[in-house]
Amino acid sequence: MRNFVDFIIKNINSIIFLILISISTTQIFSRNYYQASKFNLFSSSVVNSIKEIKTEIFEYFDLVETNQKLVIENSYLKNNHNYNYENDSIIFNKNYSYTPSKVISNSIKFSKNFITIDKGSFHNIEIDDGIITSQGVIGVINNVSNRFATGISILNSQLKINAVLKKSEHFGSLYWNGKNHQIMELEDIPKSANISVGDTIISGGMSSIFPRNIPIGVIYKFELPESTNYYEISVKLFEDFGSLRNVYVVKNDFKQEFNDLKNLNE
Amino acid sequence: MNNINQLLFFRFIILSLSQVMIFNNFLIFGNTINIYLIFVLVFPLNFNKSFAYIITFIFGFVIDFFSNSFGIITFSLLISILIKPYILKFAFGNFDVNKVRKTYEYISGTTLYQQISYLFLMFFTHQLILNSVEIFSFQKFDMILNKTLISSIISIMFSYFILLIFFRKNA
Repeated sequence: MRNFVDFIIKNINSIIFLILISISTTQIFSRNYYQASKFNLFSSSVVNSIKEIKTEIFEYFDLVETNQKLVIENSYLKNNHNYNYENDSIIFNKNYSYTPSKVISNSIKFSKNFITIDKGSFHNIEIDDGIITSQGVIGVINNVSNRFATGISILNSQLKINAVLKKSEHFGSLYWNGKNHQIMELEDIPKSANISVGDTIISGGMSSIFPRNIPIGVIYKFELPESTNYYEISVKLFEDFGSLRNVYVVKNDFKQEFNDLKNLNE
Repeated sequence: MNNINQLLFFRFIILSLSQVMIFNNFLIFGNTINIYLIFVLVFPLNFNKSFAYIITFIFGFVIDFFSNSFGIITFSLLISILIKPYILKFAFGNFDVNKVRKTYEYISGTTLYQQISYLFLMFFTHQLILNSVEIFSFQKFDMILNKTLISSIISIMFSYFILLIFFRKNA
């Protein structure tokens, strides 16, 4: 203790200088917008590189599980489509191109969750591309750097996506209430729809982001409030967001044309 | 010592006010005239170093506050006062910092060449740090250098006259 006090007394000038310099540095990076964004860009690229190395290492431990998932996906594709890839929306939907990528970081514990993947603008990934797996919709790309991209997870209370009841083709919008990472809420399904627990929900394909027919989940419970004409539906997701590893980035090749046409009517 | 405290207080008020009220409103070739560095240039040498850092920090904070450049001027002023003794030694030769009380005492016998080199080194390093932090990009290094040169030359001209007129005897 005495040595410590001695050390402080001896170096009091340098210590005060360092404290003052760090105060001014924090000021620079917290109150000047430009410097802060530059610094964030730099630090996020460093952090992402480290996270990528970590993912590469931990990937080996999950190889068995990943293999099993791929086998299941493969058998599903073979069984249901009899090699008729023309009908498979995930692989051969002609308007869409797919880029396989790996999840570097992902969260489920906040009310606004984001996801980082290891492909960026070098791999032709752009803002507003979709992120999917064979078992569900994952999110929408919102920021792209050279080698990485971040997306808004559908487990984010700010994002709503278009979804359809597979049985009756009624469409509504799917959002997350921020409580359970396996349950999402589906709204705007009218009273006239005949629904029951266990019905499959698929993506609607009405925006230019996601193709149609991607499975999302099943109806877990539903109720019809007296004052409205719309169901309140809880959907249990197929995809387990807690163990997300391999995803596809899906890009609509005719997005520009689609949006231009849509804007003409507005 | 009391005398020096009063002197510092008056310099603090007058220099910060004149920088904020007058010189921040002029732009010459897109650069402001930074006469506030005079505060560091003529800062008493045998003053307690910790207090010197703290006073400089507050001085920079005040100017930062009125120039809407949070922290940038404070940061470069602190670096300037840190390297000031080394630049003094480089420009005026070796001397014992603890024995010299007023900047005027060792400037009096020196040549114009030495004074200008002291001013130039101080202003150049200060403006280099200031502009580097402000522009904050390696790709724009030519722009940083350009701005640094122009603004330090302009600031030196103004500061030299101010030093000649007001700090001749008291510095």
